[in-house]
Formats: sequence, structure tokens, C-alpha cells
Amino acid sequence: MSDVDPVQVQPPKSPVLRIRDLRKTFPGTRALDRIDFDLDRGEVHALVGQNGSGKSTLIKVLAGYHRPDPGAVIELAGRRIEIQDTAASRAAGLRFVHQDLGLVETLNTVENLALGRGLRTRFAGRIDWKAERRDAQQRMNALGYDCDVRRPVSQLAAAERTGIAIARALDHWEDARILVVDEPTASLPRHEVRTLFEALDRVRSQGLGVIYVSHRLDEVFTIADRVTVLRDGRRVGTFPTSQLDENRLVTLIAGSETMRPSHARPYAGEPGIVLDVRGLRGLVVDNVDLVARRGEVLGIAGLTGSGREEALPLIFGAASRGGSVSVEGAPLGASVEAAMNAGMGFVPANRHTDGSITTLSVRENCTLTDLKSLSGRALRLQRSTERSEVCEWINTLDVRPPKPDALFATLSGGNQQKIVLAKWLRRNPRVLLLDEPTQGVDVQAKATIHALARDVADRGSAVVIASSDDAELCGTCDRIIVLRDGRIAGEATGPAMTLEQIARLQLAAA
Amino acid sequence: MTQQQLSEDPTEIKPIKPRETTPLTSAERKAVARDADSSRSVSEHSRAHPLDQAPHSRRWLKSLSVRRVSAVYLWVAFLILFSIITPSTFLTATTFRLVFSQGVVTCLLALAFLIPLAAGVYDLSIGAVMSLSLAISVYLQIHSGLAPGLGAVVAVGASACIGWMNGLIVVRLRVNSFIATLGTSQVLLAVVLLISNNQQLIGSFPNSWSNIGNGDFLKVPIVVWVLLAIAVLLWYVFEFTRIGRYLFATGGNPDAARLSGVKTERTIWSAFVASGAVAGLAGIVYSMQTGLFSADTGPGYLFPAIAAVFLGASQLSQRPNVWGTLIAYFALAFGIQGLVLSASSASVWSQPLFQGVSLIVAVALASRPAVRKLREARGPKGQETS
Repeated sequence: MSDVDPVQVQPPKSPVLRIRDLRKTFPGTRALDRIDFDLDRGEVHALVGQNGSGKSTLIKVLAGYHRPDPGAVIELAGRRIEIQDTAASRAAGLRFVHQDLGLVETLNTVENLALGRGLRTRFAGRIDWKAERRDAQQRMNALGYDCDVRRPVSQLAAAERTGIAIARALDHWEDARILVVDEPTASLPRHEVRTLFEALDRVRSQGLGVIYVSHRLDEVFTIADRVTVLRDGRRVGTFPTSQLDENRLVTLIAGSETMRPSHARPYAGEPGIVLDVRGLRGLVVDNVDLVARRGEVLGIAGLTGSGREEALPLIFGAASRGGSVSVEGAPLGASVEAAMNAGMGFVPANRHTDGSITTLSVRENCTLTDLKSLSGRALRLQRSTERSEVCEWINTLDVRPPKPDALFATLSGGNQQKIVLAKWLRRNPRVLLLDEPTQGVDVQAKATIHALARDVADRGSAVVIASSDDAELCGTCDRIIVLRDGRIAGEATGPAMTLEQIARLQLAAA
Repeated sequence: MTQQQLSEDPTEIKPIKPRETTPLTSAERKAVARDADSSRSVSEHSRAHPLDQAPHSRRWLKSLSVRRVSAVYLWVAFLILFSIITPSTFLTATTFRLVFSQGVVTCLLALAFLIPLAAGVYDLSIGAVMSLSLAISVYLQIHSGLAPGLGAVVAVGASACIGWMNGLIVVRLRVNSFIATLGTSQVLLAVVLLISNNQQLIGSFPNSWSNIGNGDFLKVPIVVWVLLAIAVLLWYVFEFTRIGRYLFATGGNPDAARLSGVKTERTIWSAFVASGAVAGLAGIVYSMQTGLFSADTGPGYLFPAIAAVFLGASQLSQRPNVWGTLIAYFALAFGIQGLVLSASSASVWSQPLFQGVSLIVAVALASRPAVRKLREARGPKGQETS
């Protein structure tokens, strides 16, 4: 990504946004406490912090969803403004791209760009599609995208969709002064991140200030000029990215020196094969063989579309598959039931659609995987046993709030993921499959989840992690298999498990 | 998690089986359990807050809050209102007997609708199934020497089979349940018209049969006992067994439930069978009460039943539940009866008016607590950045 030319920033830097002494108090909590923040013209300013650190509140204040406490000073290009509501925010030249892009999947780029603005019409209300199409094409080209604007958005690549959201946010380019991008890369594969960054570079070269919110720290170093770290509603500091490294940044975010789980000890190579997969075939995955041994954490890396997303659901039997899967020598049928009976557990990539039932309570989610052990006479569930078991899981995994009867949907992402893990851990899985286990999860929960994966392996099980976050794999796994075009492109162990090596295998110019 | 814990070597965290970790002290256990209870209140924050732990008495009061049992307050309001307007006729044993025994059929249908709804599917054929069950039992009574009890078994069995067919269409043929059961209900209507030749059938049931339909046990109509028995059974299954958990899990998110090992297809299928059987039972109860069949009997009960279920879902546990459904139905039934007694013309229009308004109000109310819960949990710190 370094081959993107550094943009000449002209005119010279002057703060387009200046925030002083911003406080926001909610009943019982102070979400933001004396926040100062500057954004220059043509600057990409990253905003980082854990979930609950106040990033979202700050952005919502800027967007006009929340009114700050009295006394805050918000200056736009030297002029003091009040952001009363969302309309005022927009009028002031603030534009937002939220993580959920807000595109209508069935409409095409032209129609999505016109949402909320209306289409040009000619005689008798007939839409001037030709002009609209030309306009859409121009706007996408201006951001460096070259996609077919007539195709439904659902058929476009993830980065292109993000591009459309940016193009729409910058509709009246001349009025826009600040673009706020909230976690744009959470669902982007790495080669598409680069496209996004090129688009953001074009935005900044137009003299706009960009506020960039992300959990992915390597991106912060790639794209941002400065970074502001928030912790517990306070500003820890603002630093030029050139004066920081990733380790230091993690420390600033977390407030402690050893956040990232250090790779504890190399895999000793115990002999027992727990999971044996032969000739696995799915839609993309094509004839993949892999084994996971006792006590091993195996990683599966690969770009989006390489079959990485498909591998674990196939092994678990959640989708129909070809090939054979056996656990401790016994072959399994391709069904969830067979996989669970053999002691497999599967944490799906999408917590909301596949991993949890958000309308049920934490307790009900946690115990759903094994209710038989809680059933007594006349099928009666033993509530007190269930409750105390869930309470202990909540304690050991430090789930906040520690309320087993809280609605699952009310938990934050990291805490939700802990519960999704707990529901498999309570079955003592022999094979634990983790698909994108830390997506959208804050740094601390991430560390907990990685430590748990290690721990499951140390107890003699096999753990398989599929992730688009290569750093996560390198930091947690004993061995990494890299998929490319549905096949195994290579394998890395021990000192060879570097980001560079993984990236090389994924892209494999050979 | 404190930072100190994190700074430990991750491999030292050994939380895999909670039973193996140091057991909680009894004080800690109580603290967690107390948190657990206080979380039942609607107003909760995403962080544990000492103020959340309301004293015991206040929690008890909260369970009587208007939002949780609004239908009970409505019921009481109707009782007071109409006993003031028409004191001589409203607050009498006759009124109570009438409302309760007339409500049994609708309530049974409501319970029949409730079972598949818990699993996230609609069964709109319940009215037609009831009609079929009634037609079969009356037809067998007229045209065969079968004892009415046996005829009832046949009718309920046939109803369960219809439920099984619904399940087949929804689970195997993957037709949306709303459309599938709407279709079945029309087919059933055809079957019923065929059986009855579009005429009213008058069964000559023995007295013992209509005695069940109109008699008392312990001064309460026998059919009300039947309803109570079915309600208790369903309540037990919903709230105290894993079958209930599977139903609600399937209803909440079928994909996630399936990936957690719930046999969602079997769950949905069984829910349809149970729904068919309960709807069939409603037809039997009707045959005990009147002994008559006409083709337009069943479908008319569909709407009141559905209204009761949705209104009931806004009560108590704030999801489809047995007692909420019954309370909601009878609250409305007393209001309707009061209107009927106080204005003679009201008997015609009061029922659809009440039921239509209450359905809309109930669903509007029911969607509020969930929205508020989410807003309160996410609002203060805007934690949901991910």
C-alpha cells in the first residue's frame, strides 16, 4: 500500500475542525470528558480506542445525534458552530460513511447514489438515465473506482460498495469539508482495503479532512497522518503516526504494556491427530486436505474468495460438502448433529446471523448447545443448575454486564462473542472451529478470546481458526495453512509465520 | 476485565470448565444471582451499576408494572366501568360463565396459533382446521354409529395430519408459512364444503356429549377446565422444558439455532402438528357446545385468536406466552360483553372493533420495550462501534 504516492497537501495545513473541551454526560456515565480534537485540511486523522472508549459518542456528536454538554467549543474553519441536529451537521459540511453502509442491495450504483437526493427527470417525470449514469460513472471514477454502475450493488465487491457509500456521502463535493469514515474495512479483504485507501487519498487531496475510525491498527499506520487515542471517554493523546509503532499504539489504547498475547511457546508436535479432513470440496474449496493435531492451534488464512470463509462451515457440516471429515479416526456424516456428537464446536463468522439468537437472553444462548445435560425428570430443565453454570461462565470470561438474564442483543460485540464461545466451551469440544473469532471485537476481548483458543488446545483439543486478520493468525497459531483459489497454497510454521510470508502465499505471484 | 488480569501470561488463564475453577464464595454467588434478577427490569444499563440492584420489594412491584401486565389492568378497568354502567347485569355469575365458556374455543385456537408462532412460523389454517374437525365429528355422528368420543379422536387425528401436511409444505417444499397455511386453509374449506354439501349439519349427539360442553365441574364449566389443562401443559412445555427452548430459539434465529445443534426443521414440523391437534380440539369443544356445523364456523375465530396471541405477546415475558394470551383474550372479551350489555346495538360491531384496535395497539406497544432496551443499553456510551 506504500506505493500510493504521498499526496501533496496544498494549501498549507490549517485546522478545518477544532474541538475544545467537549463533554458529553449521559445519566450515570460521562461518555466524553474534556475532549480536544483538531483536524487539518487534507489530513487523515485516525480515531482509535476500545469499544466504550467514546469514539462512537464523539462521532454521534459530530453527526448531530447527541448534543454535547454546554461549554464545548466546536469550530469549523475558525467559525464557531452549534450542531443541533443531523441537518445542521450536514449543512456544516460534515459527511459520514457508517460501518453499515446503508446501501440498497437490489438497486444499482446509479440508483443508490441518487437515494435521498432524487433523480434527474425530463418530460413527464421520465428519469434521465443516461445523464444519471454518466454522472454516477464520473463520481465513481473520481474516487478511483471503475465498476459497472448498472449492476446491482449486491454483485459488487465489498470495496466498491464502500466506494459507493463514500461517493454518496460526498454528493455535493464542494460543500463537504470533513468526511468521517467509521470502520470501513471491517468486512473488507486486504486487497480491497488498498482500493479504499486510494479513494480516501483522492478525497484528502481535494482538501477535505478525513476522520478514520478503525480497530485495525496496521491500517492506521498506512493511511493516517495523525492518530488520536481515546480511553474511557478521555483523550489519551494525539500523535503523528510516524512517531509511533504498533506495539506502542496498542499500549496507548489499552493502557497496559502487554496487551497482545505473546506467542507463548512453540508447538511441541504431539502425535495424535484429532481432526482429519480429506478431499474437502465446496463451492470454492476444492480438494483440501488438512489435519489438526492434539494441542495444536491451526490457522487458515486466505483472501476473501479463496475459500477461507467456506472451509469451517464445510468441516462442521453446516453446508453440504464433498470429501471426508473424521474426528479421532471416526468418519462423520455431513451434518451439524454428527459434528456435535463427535465433539466439534463451531463459532460462525457472523455472530448476529449465525452465532446467536439475539432475542433470547444470555443464559438461553449460552446453554442452547447442550440442554440435555440440564434436563431432569419430565423433561424439566433444571433452572438453578443452568443459572449457576452460566453465572460461572460469565465470571470466568468477565462478561459485562454480569447478568445472565440480560437480552443478548444488549451486550457489546466483545461480550457477545465471549458468550458465543462459552456455549461451545461448556461442551468441552475436542475440535473447536473459530471463524473470524474477533471481528468487530475490542482489543481486550480479543486477547481473552485468543487466550481461550490457546487454552482449549493446551487441554488436548485441536483448534482451527479461519481469519482474514493475518496478524491474529500469526500471533495465535502454531501452524497456518494458506488457501488460494480453493486450494492449499502453502503452509507456515514457527519462525516462517510472518505477515510477509502469509501475504506472499496468499497472493503468490508464482 | 482489569488490566492486571490481562498482563498475566495468557496461558495462565484456565477458564475452560467453570467447575474446575475456584468455586465462587457464597457471597459472590449471591451477588451474581442478584444481578441476574435485577436485569429482568426493563431499565438496564450495559454496565453493572450498583443502583441497578433494586431491593427485593421493588422488584416485586416491577413485575406488576403497567407495561408487563397492562391487559390485567385493562380487564379490571372494564370490570369496574361496566359494573358502574350496568350494575344489574354485568357483575353476575351468568356474565362470567358466558364469557368464559364462550371464550374456550377462541382461546384454544389462540394457543394453536401460539405454538408455531413461538417457532417463528405462522399457521393461518387453524380456523379451517377447527372447521374440518367439527365437520368430521358431526359427519361421523350422523353417518356412522361411531361413539362421539371415538369420532373426536378421529377428528383430532385428522387435524394433526393437516398440521403434518403444513409442516411438509413449509419445511420440505420451503414455502413461506404465511402463504402455505393460507393455501391449506382454502383447500380445507373446499374439503369441508364437500363433506357438508354446503349445508348446515345438525349432529344428534347424546346428552352426555353436550353435558361436557355445557356442564360444570366444581362450579366452573368443564370446557374451561379443558382449556386450563391444555394451557398448563403448553406453559410447562414452553417455559420448563428444552422443547420450549428449542421453539423460541428456532423462532428467534433459525440459522443460529441450527448451528447450535437445534433440529430446527423437526421443531417447526412438530409445532405444526401440535397446532393442528389443538385446533382440532377446539372443533371438538365446539361440537360439544352446539352440536352444529356450518362451513363458516371456523374462519371467523381466526382473527380474535391471532389478536389475543399478539396482544398476549406484549404481556409478562414480552414474547409469545400462554398466560399473556389468555389474559389478553379475556380482558377484551369482558370489554365486549360489557358493551353488549350496555348498548343493545353494540353486539354487532363491538367485537371486530375491539379486536382490530387491540391488535394494532398491542403490536405497537410490544415493539416499544425491545427498542427501548436496545437504546438504553447502547445509548449512553455508544459502545457498539463494531
